[in-house]
Amino acid sequence: MFFHNFKYALKKLIRNRMLLFWTFAFPIILGTFFSMAFSDIENSEKLHVIDIAIVENDVFENNLLYKETFLALGDKNSDEQLFSIQYVDLAQAEELLSKDEIVGYLFLDKTPQIVIGANGINETIFKYVVEQIGQMEDVFQASLENKLRDSKDLTSLDSWYVELYQQTMEYFNKEQAMIQDISSTHLNYTMIEYYTLIAMTCLYGGILGMNVINQCLANMSSNGKRTSISPSSKWKLIFSSALAGYIVQVFGLLLLFLYTIFVLQVDYGSHFFLVVLLSLIGSFAGLSLGVFIASLFPSNENTKFGIIISVTMLGCFFSGMMGITMKYVVDQSFPLVNYLNPANMITDGLYALYYYNTLDRFCFNLVSLFLFSFVLILISIFSLRRQKYDSI
Amino acid sequence: MGKAVVSVKKLTKQYKNLKAIDNLSFDVFQGEILGLLGPNGSGKSTTINCILSLLNFSKGSIQIFGKEMDPSAYDLKREIGVVFQDVAVFDELTVFENIDYFCGLYISDKQTRRKYVEDAIHLVGLEEFQKFYPKQLSGGLLRRLNIACGVAHKPKLIILDEPTVAVDPQSRNNILDGIRFLRDQGSTVIYTTHYMEEVEILCDRVIILDRGKVIASGTIDELKKLAKLEEKVTVEVYDLDLKYIEEIKSFRNALEVSYHNGVLLVTYKKGKDNLVEIMEYLKKNKICYHKIFSERPTLNDVFLELTGKELRD
Repeated sequence: MFFHNFKYALKKLIRNRMLLFWTFAFPIILGTFFSMAFSDIENSEKLHVIDIAIVENDVFENNLLYKETFLALGDKNSDEQLFSIQYVDLAQAEELLSKDEIVGYLFLDKTPQIVIGANGINETIFKYVVEQIGQMEDVFQASLENKLRDSKDLTSLDSWYVELYQQTMEYFNKEQAMIQDISSTHLNYTMIEYYTLIAMTCLYGGILGMNVINQCLANMSSNGKRTSISPSSKWKLIFSSALAGYIVQVFGLLLLFLYTIFVLQVDYGSHFFLVVLLSLIGSFAGLSLGVFIASLFPSNENTKFGIIISVTMLGCFFSGMMGITMKYVVDQSFPLVNYLNPANMITDGLYALYYYNTLDRFCFNLVSLFLFSFVLILISIFSLRRQKYDSI
Repeated sequence: MGKAVVSVKKLTKQYKNLKAIDNLSFDVFQGEILGLLGPNGSGKSTTINCILSLLNFSKGSIQIFGKEMDPSAYDLKREIGVVFQDVAVFDELTVFENIDYFCGLYISDKQTRRKYVEDAIHLVGLEEFQKFYPKQLSGGLLRRLNIACGVAHKPKLIILDEPTVAVDPQSRNNILDGIRFLRDQGSTVIYTTHYMEEVEILCDRVIILDRGKVIASGTIDELKKLAKLEEKVTVEVYDLDLKYIEEIKSFRNALEVSYHNGVLLVTYKKGKDNLVEIMEYLKKNKICYHKIFSERPTLNDVFLELTGKELRD
């Protein structure tokens, strides 16, 4: 019976044009609009190589840390070149700055001095890099002093020094990669839109969940009455239909991924497995939301459909679908709303994958989403246990 | 009478201030077609939903095949087929798939199921429409599909809740023939309707419901005997003088005489040759008439007499 119902549930869902539109077509259409609307913004905000100057003097020449770091960050043969550097004297640096040929220059004296012409993202990045080198230099200096104080065998200092130097350069390479990553690829409007699009697609699974429940309950539809009087277990009917719904939902999600990756050229980064994992849990959350609304609200199918679409769109709006500012506003002013907002759990989880080096926030969202689904399913089961009705 | 397949005892269903079913008791016996007749809102569908354990009820008990009916009585449910008033089919499935789907909820063996589905299609005459989707079917064909979905698993007890509402005459005849065939195959049928003509030609026994109560029950003949009238004579005649109407009222068996819009209606309580009597009277008084005919009382007349209102009110 399980497979019999599962087979026909799949057929019913696949042939239901309205469901197909919302699950398959609508996210793809919206994704296309996003791509068209935001591509210009993305291009205009893409980080270019930043023109800077460094004042060549003895201090700079003798400071290996600064010298090597800027050498690496200014390497024209590297794909990850961050700076275009001119090594000049102080007067030339001033002149270049006054002609706006550089965003700023570095003058190493007792302390590093950064002179910039204006405020902007390029100037901020330049300043950030210099500050990071300064901090690392302090750490380096402190470590060296400790080592000298503690070490009895000075011959071991050479190898230690080499090791420390390598670690330092490794750190800067990572920092550089992060700056490139955040600035040029991921921290842009389009990606946030795509995250909310994935969230929306996941939550549209609610329509499938609602459909499943409506077809199984006697007080919801004529077909529900007919299935209710059959000698088939209600739970078998619900679970087999829900499984069919979930598979259709995941297929819709797969189509969205294929379309965005191969047609819209969206780069989901190196954590694609985690993106998929979060999306699968998100789809489960969507399905749970539909089951919850269908089993708790004794209204007709159109009303429930409206509720699901409204909840989904509102959730996506709060998580930044119509502008990332909204997400920040809600996060800052009404954090509880977004803590309970499944669309935000998905969006924020995907966002965290790229914005943070650790998976803590991603895992928090993943677990929150799972708990959210679990609670909804639990409440729904409690409501669905009822087998007789007061009125039909 | 055979043994009771369905036994309803003192069933009461209350919605806040309204008693939808009021202390209702009746039995349905094996192999019969029992008609539940009553106007809209008389409690027919509510009774059916209570029998099927879909609705909670305030008081009473319901037994099917001698066992208490409840939502998890799967062994009982397996033997019941229901055709609801609203068409319950899936728009996304073809005629064949719809019947196969619902039959599959009862019959797991594929070969048996296929045979049953084909039998059901043959029963309702949908052979040529097997690959059609419900939206491509006319109202009558859709009703036939609805019936096939409800009875494909060859149940021992079939409950049909107004299955012929808004159906064309051809489909109606097909449906009624199908129900008779199912009874002949050994099924017991409960048939609810407010079409008295259907009940008269189909049902072995009838229960007339009004406001959730049984107001009469028995065979068609038994019910008709409840009515005081025995015969109705209708005459189409223009410009009939009042004195003639008064004279007709004094006829030996005349119960009531009315004259409206050129139609003279005379009801008789008993007796023979009432039609001859009135024809001779009209001839003697040289009253010209266009049409004259005699009728036996219908269930509607019985209902009218018992409740003071028409069945279709």
